[in-house]
Amino acid sequence: MTGLPSTGTAAAVRLTDLHKRFGALEVLKGISLEAREGEVVSILGASGSGKSTMLRCINMLEVPTSGTVTVGGETIALVRGRNGESRPADRRQVDRIRSRVGMVFQSFNLWSHKTVLENVVEAPIHVQGRPKRECVEEALGLLEKVGIADKRDHYPAHLSGGQQQRAAIARALAQRPALMLFDEPTSALDPELVGEVLRVMRGLAEEGRTMLVVTHEMGFARDVSNRVVFLHQGLIEAEGAPDALFGGGGSERFQRFIAG
Amino acid sequence: MSLDFFIEALQRLLPGVPLTLTLAFLSTGIGAVFAFALAGMRLSGILPLDWLARGYVFVFRGTPLLVQIFIIYYGLSQFPEVRHSFAWPILREPFWCAIIALSLNTGAYASEVVRGGLLSVPQGQLEAARACGMSGLLLFRRIVLPLAIRQALPAYGTELILMVKATSLASIITLMEITGLAAKMISDTYRVIEVFVVAGAIYLVINFVLTRIILLAEHWLTPHLRARPDGVVLPSDALIGDRA
Amino acid sequence: MNQPGFFELMSFGPGGWGAAMLFGALMTLAVAVCGFAIGAVFGAVAALAKIAGNRLARIVADVYTTVLRGIPDLLVIYLFYFGGSSVLTAAGRLFGSEGFIGLPGFAAGALAIGVVSGAQHTEVFRGAYRAVQPGEIEAAVACGMRPLLRFRRIIAPLVLRHALPGLGNVWQIVLKESALVSVTGTVELLRQSQVGAGSTREPFYFYAAAGLLYLAITSISGFGFRRAEMHYRRGVARRPA
Repeated sequence: MTGLPSTGTAAAVRLTDLHKRFGALEVLKGISLEAREGEVVSILGASGSGKSTMLRCINMLEVPTSGTVTVGGETIALVRGRNGESRPADRRQVDRIRSRVGMVFQSFNLWSHKTVLENVVEAPIHVQGRPKRECVEEALGLLEKVGIADKRDHYPAHLSGGQQQRAAIARALAQRPALMLFDEPTSALDPELVGEVLRVMRGLAEEGRTMLVVTHEMGFARDVSNRVVFLHQGLIEAEGAPDALFGGGGSERFQRFIAG
Repeated sequence: MSLDFFIEALQRLLPGVPLTLTLAFLSTGIGAVFAFALAGMRLSGILPLDWLARGYVFVFRGTPLLVQIFIIYYGLSQFPEVRHSFAWPILREPFWCAIIALSLNTGAYASEVVRGGLLSVPQGQLEAARACGMSGLLLFRRIVLPLAIRQALPAYGTELILMVKATSLASIITLMEITGLAAKMISDTYRVIEVFVVAGAIYLVINFVLTRIILLAEHWLTPHLRARPDGVVLPSDALIGDRA
Repeated sequence: MNQPGFFELMSFGPGGWGAAMLFGALMTLAVAVCGFAIGAVFGAVAALAKIAGNRLARIVADVYTTVLRGIPDLLVIYLFYFGGSSVLTAAGRLFGSEGFIGLPGFAAGALAIGVVSGAQHTEVFRGAYRAVQPGEIEAAVACGMRPLLRFRRIIAPLVLRHALPGLGNVWQIVLKESALVSVTGTVELLRQSQVGAGSTREPFYFYAAAGLLYLAITSISGFGFRRAEMHYRRGVARRPA
């Protein structure tokens, strides 16, 4: 549990005492975190601090060794397999939760054999089983929103990194997600392309979407997010409102971290 | 499936090994000459030679080896001119026809391997050789060829294995190499599976040994690609003498 | 006596062998297509075993590809042709049939070529799977696709795109290999040429005609594969500079 007072809004996602171990290496050493609906949480930390692993535990791309993940009030049931590794008890539950969680990856991960539009409508049509017409219309609107409507029939390889990442954001939005996960969305981009992606993300934050953003962009963390979480060696070392943390609060290590 | 039968099968099939190996090595050797000639034609920059080599490769890679064998062994005898020529004593023999067909065939495939090897020689190393006064045959012999061979060796090793397998087609024009003997034994005994297992095992052993030899050759030829273990004596140490 | 020339022999009129040779070419195509399809199934299963199988499945798949890479295809055809017949005869005896039951040459040949090319298919599929960016599969996982849907919508199309050049090579090999099926008496192109050569005593013309037809088939299908590659490489290849 976090020490934050409950505001009455429901928790979009809650992590409780999350541990993740890869062999002998313990990457997460007991993380508890809650994000309320409409909240934008930036997750900072040096590489290897476990921030991406934590994010990937939310949609079970990594299965936590222990602890619980609750998304939209539904706790993902985990069991321990024969080999001692934990795994989800119910694959269907995981798939159901995944279909409500949009994820944006560092390396975009657009499906290279599908055009931009086909990428965006894939999950709504084939995972969620929504009518094709409706999905295409909605997808066109989303592409408009991220500013690449004119690229809808292009293949990902023919787009710039920034355009690909905006397409990936549209793809995640098309799932009508209750929660958006961003895993270092601008880290693979050339510096001049970072801005166009951050602008789109800022727009989403202003719409009141629930977002968890692993990032190195201090400006985004300070100006856009409601809350900043700083991870160090698998533990949350500092947490709070951006003004408080960037204004000199937080740990000494956090101050050194933001000073670069 | 008695052990006795396996031993008998071994005794009957092993005598085919020398013929199989002779066919494979002889035609790979002759084929290598064709391959170098063809690769040279392709890279000569002389358009008619280039197109001739392209056509050759196209025809021999686009048709089955068995058709090539049949054309040479059966087809040529259709012409009285061939039957009365000096070459007839050779073209009459299934052994030489098989050698000719296999060599022509592997020459086409291997020419692409050789060409790839020659093209892989870095331009910078050629310039360095020219800069220190090498040219023509010396440049080719001292720099281009060694580098190309090292590059082409793995693919050429694969080609050798394919040739060992291809020699089995010689059995169709009556040569009693391993597959020929196996086919004979199958029709004598009707014990298909046992004979297949023994013949297959012989081929596998041959190819396994050849693969090892090729890997070893690669290892010897590419000291520059290996990590330098501590305490190893470099060729230059011998050249320079004791540095102590 | 005036010997008929090449074009006379290969004409389509009475006494001409043109139609028979073309039919042989069709048979060659049929053998090759069947062998290729069977090989694709073997290859897909073996590649799956190598990629995602347990220890035993991996070992079996490794033995399969290693053995078939080292054994002459002709030997495998003999195994299926003669061996298939003895298996069928033995099975027939179980059901009270006394006589010899032969496995048709076509079936034995297509099966043998399938098993042989399956080893090549395996490596093509495995290499193609490796070429798929893990992130693209992860994105499919992340949006909630079940394994079967993920395979059908994302993995299989991507693997096929990466496999296309390799499959083109395997197809060319299979086409040429199909000539070996002539030893089973199946009247494909080469067997038809042997028949013609035997009855007219003009082997060169017949084998040359066979060679030309093979050349035509390999070039046309090679062209088709290259077109397909270009078509499906959209998106998978990097943008032209």
